[in-house]
Order: sequence, then structure tokens, then C-alpha cells
Amino acid sequence: MGRILIVDDTLFMRTLLKNILFSGGHDIVGEAADGDEAITKYQELKPDLVTMDVVMPKVNGIEALKGIRTFDPNARVVMCTAVGQEQMVKLAIKTGARGYIVKPFQAPKVLEEIKNVLGS
Amino acid sequence: MDTYRALYIAESRENHENIVKNLLILENGTDTGAIAEIFRSAHSLKGMSASMGYAGMEKLCHAMEDIFQEIRNDNLEVSSALMDALLSASDKIEAMLDDIEAEGQGMPEDLDERVEALKKWTHKGTSGAIAGSGKGTDEDALQSSLRPGEHRFRISVRLKDGCENRNLRGMIVLQNLEDLGSLEKVSPDRAIVEDGEFDGSFVVDLVSDAGMEAIHTISSITDVQEVSIQDLEIRDESETPSEKTGVSVPGKDAPSRKPAQGEKADKGREVKNIRVDIHRLDQMMNLVEDLVINRGRITQIARRYQIKEMDETLNMIGRSVSDLQNLMMNIRMIPLNHIFNRFPRTVRDIARREGKEVEFVIEGGDTELDRSIMDGLNDPLLHLIRNAIDHGIESPTVREAAGKPAKGTLLLSARRDRDNVIITIADDGGGIDIERVRKKAIERGLISAEAAGALPNDDVIDFLFRPGFSTAEAITDISGRGVGLDVVRTTIESLKGSIKVESTLGKGSRFELLLPPTMAIVTVMMVRINGRRCAIPVHNVVEVASLVQERIHSIGGHEAILLRDEVLPLDRLDDMFGHSEKSEILVVIQQQNRKRTICADSIEGQQEVVIKPLSNVVGICRGISGVTIPGDGEVVPVLDVNSMIKEN
Repeated sequence: MGRILIVDDTLFMRTLLKNILFSGGHDIVGEAADGDEAITKYQELKPDLVTMDVVMPKVNGIEALKGIRTFDPNARVVMCTAVGQEQMVKLAIKTGARGYIVKPFQAPKVLEEIKNVLGS
Repeated sequence: MDTYRALYIAESRENHENIVKNLLILENGTDTGAIAEIFRSAHSLKGMSASMGYAGMEKLCHAMEDIFQEIRNDNLEVSSALMDALLSASDKIEAMLDDIEAEGQGMPEDLDERVEALKKWTHKGTSGAIAGSGKGTDEDALQSSLRPGEHRFRISVRLKDGCENRNLRGMIVLQNLEDLGSLEKVSPDRAIVEDGEFDGSFVVDLVSDAGMEAIHTISSITDVQEVSIQDLEIRDESETPSEKTGVSVPGKDAPSRKPAQGEKADKGREVKNIRVDIHRLDQMMNLVEDLVINRGRITQIARRYQIKEMDETLNMIGRSVSDLQNLMMNIRMIPLNHIFNRFPRTVRDIARREGKEVEFVIEGGDTELDRSIMDGLNDPLLHLIRNAIDHGIESPTVREAAGKPAKGTLLLSARRDRDNVIITIADDGGGIDIERVRKKAIERGLISAEAAGALPNDDVIDFLFRPGFSTAEAITDISGRGVGLDVVRTTIESLKGSIKVESTLGKGSRFELLLPPTMAIVTVMMVRINGRRCAIPVHNVVEVASLVQERIHSIGGHEAILLRDEVLPLDRLDDMFGHSEKSEILVVIQQQNRKRTICADSIEGQQEVVIKPLSNVVGICRGISGVTIPGDGEVVPVLDVNSMIKEN
């Protein structure tokens, strides 16, 4: 299964995702609380996949996605989005996100998306 | 210009919120008041945007205003499709406001499509066809000659019927394919796919040097039902289909109204509110805390030297300082509406997706809470609300069969209860099947069958909050309290709050969150252990009793005490404070229904203190959540009852 970096500004969401991904047999290699940290950690850890929150302080998810893609154009980034943020997700996909999951999270859906993106 | 922009954004957000609020009212049946409100808000937004030169926003709001003009004149009926279009337009408005706030121009690429999507409603008669973007460049791109190794593929993709966001999935497929080569043609048009206005299938012509296998893998993402790939070069070239989708572009020159001709009520707005960076408030709070501590020290010194005059002045200072402290507290408080207001939209979306009917009631949104607590509360609340709709409230048919109204009720309420704020999330759904939980707990070896039988229901429900119990996939359907209740509880506890559940099978569930209004100041009980002081948060103290030596028993190498009918473990905290010979008092502490007791020499009383976290130098210290510095300047540790109870 995959080595995953979780990016979200709330501890709550990170923990929740961690639990879900862990139950799916994935390996959580790191966590980041904002976009800046996400880019640094990506370069350091070179994970197979990143789950990226869209709305974050300082550097938001879209910017972080851009940053990661300049470093690694093949990066697999899955956006985490709340209901009603469709426009942001569109932008993210145009920027190169490989998938998205919708908050509030449903474990089976999250795992399926992660599996698919890892497989593609 | 910047000052205007701030005002523009603040007011536009108000108008936007008003639009969303009234749209949701409208969804429950026509309401002339709501229609008028939306018309007004769209109109104001348009006018303001025009004055600020945000042409995109002006256009979008204009289109929205036109629709409501038609609705007002009874030329147009509110349908659920129209509602979706309006809601997505209002999402767009919000996104554009975000952009403008970030110093952008609020001109997203797909603006024209959005505007056209709205305009088609007011041009029903003239263009019934799906409005697409006028750009359509892909479509006319003539087939270019292929480079060696390249093939031209025709890829047909069909998304699953239940797919939630066709447009996003479509976009990902297109985006992924673009990684492999260049897209020559997408039908329906790419813009239409991105808008989700297609039936779930689309066809792409791709020129690429990749193999079919690769194309298939990259297209098979979540929610894709079927992908079929055809190499066009192998087949007859002339078979290029001619079924180009008719893209009609409705007239872009819709009558443009005069920009806002003077807002009705010129409010003569003076600036009564200012925005302050929250970090500055935090800094200020810190300074006030230091002031409180130092005032205490001066008071002690004054007392030592018996300076009467100074005592009086200090009294005055004391009063000012505590007023200042209260004021700072109040400034940091914001009404819960701040987060509550976002939920109706979420509830609507989730309910629609799950095919449930939900009446969402919000009460007590004006209850105030410290900002730092509010920040952490959004996600847990969202989670509980989601759970309630997903798993609590049954589908309309099930409800009717059970003799309930088809529409379920979800209540979110907040109230002040003495020093605490209580937030309740209650639904009238199926409730928690306690027997099933009990069974699962036994199956998972968390408890023996005999013990489980004797366990009170409240304790059984407690299992739902165990990590692992809920995240395991197989049990996510335990009358549905699914993933992550343990995380909800941990988050609430980190805010120094607690969570309680009541549930009746068939009648519904009720989650109650008990939160302190602020985290910075806590009421503690000061006790002395071996001559040293220690502070225990009052909300953890159940009772204080005198210690009767004869009642202390040793059970399994650990001391325990018999207090009335309960046997409670006894802790002496010797490693923290040293052994005391004169322990006379027993303090019973509690966290989540689990009790322990500790010995103390004496009780000094209750007081409100500011808890300072341990510095990085000290690091994390087990059993201690921080320190507080009372008036005499002594550093007193604050007991972390939560970790004490968990670790034992």
C-alpha cells in the first residue's frame, strides 16, 4: 500500500484521515499543517501520495499543489474538500490534482479514491 | 481604494450570506419575502461591484437579479434544477469574493459559462439548448498529422450512475489523458463536461504515443463505469463522426441595466467595527495575564511592608486589571452563529445526496464562545451532523413505515449553562442499537460476555468512542455511528470539554457537548500535598472527603479506598511531591465517568487562574497540563486529570 503525507490545518481532520488510511493498510509517513510545510515535507519524504486540504492558512492547498508539482511533476495529490467548494477543486484539478475526497469523510470512499489514484 | 475594498468585501459577504439563506428558504416553498430579499441582495451586490470595477461579479449578479425579476413577475417558476443553478452561482460569488479579498480581480475563467448557465433561464423561449461556452476551440482543431509512434485514439468514458460530481470526475479523466498526449476533440464540449451538464458519458480523441493499456489505466479512476478505447488509425479514417454537439450560444447582449442608481437607503455608514488580527489579541491576552500575576506579587509585597496607601492604590489597580481581563475575554468571544450559519447548506447537500428529508433547526446561535474553542469545534460538529443525517435519520419510506413523519428533524442548539456552553445535536432518527454495540464489543474481545450483560447502557455506548472500535470498516454501520467518534471526543476533550450521548432505539439520538466558554482561565482547587501546592481543575473534582485510614485497602498491589459503596483507586502522587505524613483529605477526581482519588494535606480553596503551558525547555511532563502563578509568585503545577486517569 502507499506511503502517504497528510496535509490539513486541523488536527482533527489529520487524525481522522490517519485513522481511516491506517485502517486501509497505508503507511502515514508524515503530516503537515500548512502548505509551506507540505512542500518541505514532500521534498524530504517523497511520499507516494499526498492528501491536501484546500483551505489552509499561509500557503493554501492549491499553491502547495503547484509547489509540489514543480518539484515533482508526477506527484500524486488528492484534494480534500468540503461540500460546496467545487470551484476550488476544479482549479486544483486543472493544476494537476489526481483526485479528490469530500469532507465529511466516509471511510470506504476515501480508501477507494486513494487506491485508485495510487493505481493510476 | 483599499479601504473601500475591505468595506466592499464585508458588505458583499453579508449580501451573499443573505442570498444563500433565502435560497434555502425558497427551496422549502415559494416565499415572496425571500424572493424580494434575494433580488435586493443581488442588486446591491451588482451595484457595489460595478462601482468597484469588478465586472465579473457585476455580470453574475446581474444574471441572478434578472432571474429573480422574472420570478417576481411570475414568468419563471422555482424548480430544483433552477435552484441548483442558483446555488452554484452563489458558490461562485463566494469564490470570487475570496479572490477579490486576496487582491485578485474576481474574474474566474469559467465565469462566462456560469453567466450563460443563468441566462438560459431568462431566455427559455429563445434557447432551450444547453448553453455551453462560446470558445469551443478544441472542436474545430482539425486533425493534425501524426508524428511517428503516435496514434489517434477514440476513448469513450462512461461514469457511474450514482456519481456525485460528474464534472470533477470528467475533468480528472481529461486531465490525466492530457498527461499522455494532446486532446484533439472532446464531445460534449470540454466546458460542458467541466460544468457537469452532460449525461455521464463523453468521448475523447487523443493523439498519443502511449499504449492502450496506459490509457485504460489512467482513465479508470473512481466512479468510472466503463472505458472503451479504439485506435482510429487502424480503422477507416473516414469514420470520423459528424455528430458534433450543437452548441448554441445565447445572445450575450442581454439588456444591460443601469448600474445601481443610488442604493435605496443611504446608510451613512461610519466605521463602528475594526478588524484586528487574532494574534494581536493573543499577545494582548498574554500581557494581561502577566499583569495579573505581577499585581498579585505587588500586593504581597505591600502587605509585607504594611504600606496603607499602597494597599489602597493596589485595590484600584486590582479592579482595573480584573475589568481589563473580563473585557479581553469578551473581545475574544464570538457568537456561535459564526460556524452555525455554514451548516444549513451542508445539511441540505448531505440530505439530498443521501435521499433523506431533513428539517434543520438551529437554536441559540447567539451564544458566545471563545474564538480558540470555536476554531476547533467546526469539524467535530460537522462530523456529528453528518453522522446524524447519514446514519441517524432514516429514509422517508422507512420513517413512514415506522409511523414517523417523512421529514426527519435535526436540531442544533446552544445554550449557556452557568459557566459552560452546551451544544446539542439531536435527531429523531433510528437511534443507537445498544444490543448490537454490546455484541460487537464482546466479539472484539473488549469485554467478556458476562461483564457486558451487567454493563449499564451508558457504558456500552462509551464503546463507540473507543479508537479502533469505530474506525474498523466492518462496523461502520452500527446503527450507524460510524468513523471517528473517538476523534470527535479527543478533539472536544482537548478543548477541555466533554461529550455525552443519549439514545433511544427508534426514537433518535442526542449528543451533548459541554464546553468551557474560554480556555485561558480555569477555576481550580488549590490543595497542599507534602507542604507544596498543586492546582486541580474544578471540573474534574467530584467531591472532597476526609481520609479515613481504616478504609484504605490494598488491592493487587495498589491502594484503593472504600467510599460509600464505591471502591476507588487511591493515588499518593509521592513521586511528584514527595511522601507526606499528614494526608488528611481525600479528593475524588473524575474524567468521563472514571473516578480516582488522591490524598492531600489540606485544601486552600478555589480560585480562577490563568494556565500557562509548560515551556519548550521543560517539554511534556506526564500528569501536568501546565503551571499557574498565583499572587505570591510561586509556580504551581496544574494536575492533568485526563492523562492521569487514562494512563492507569
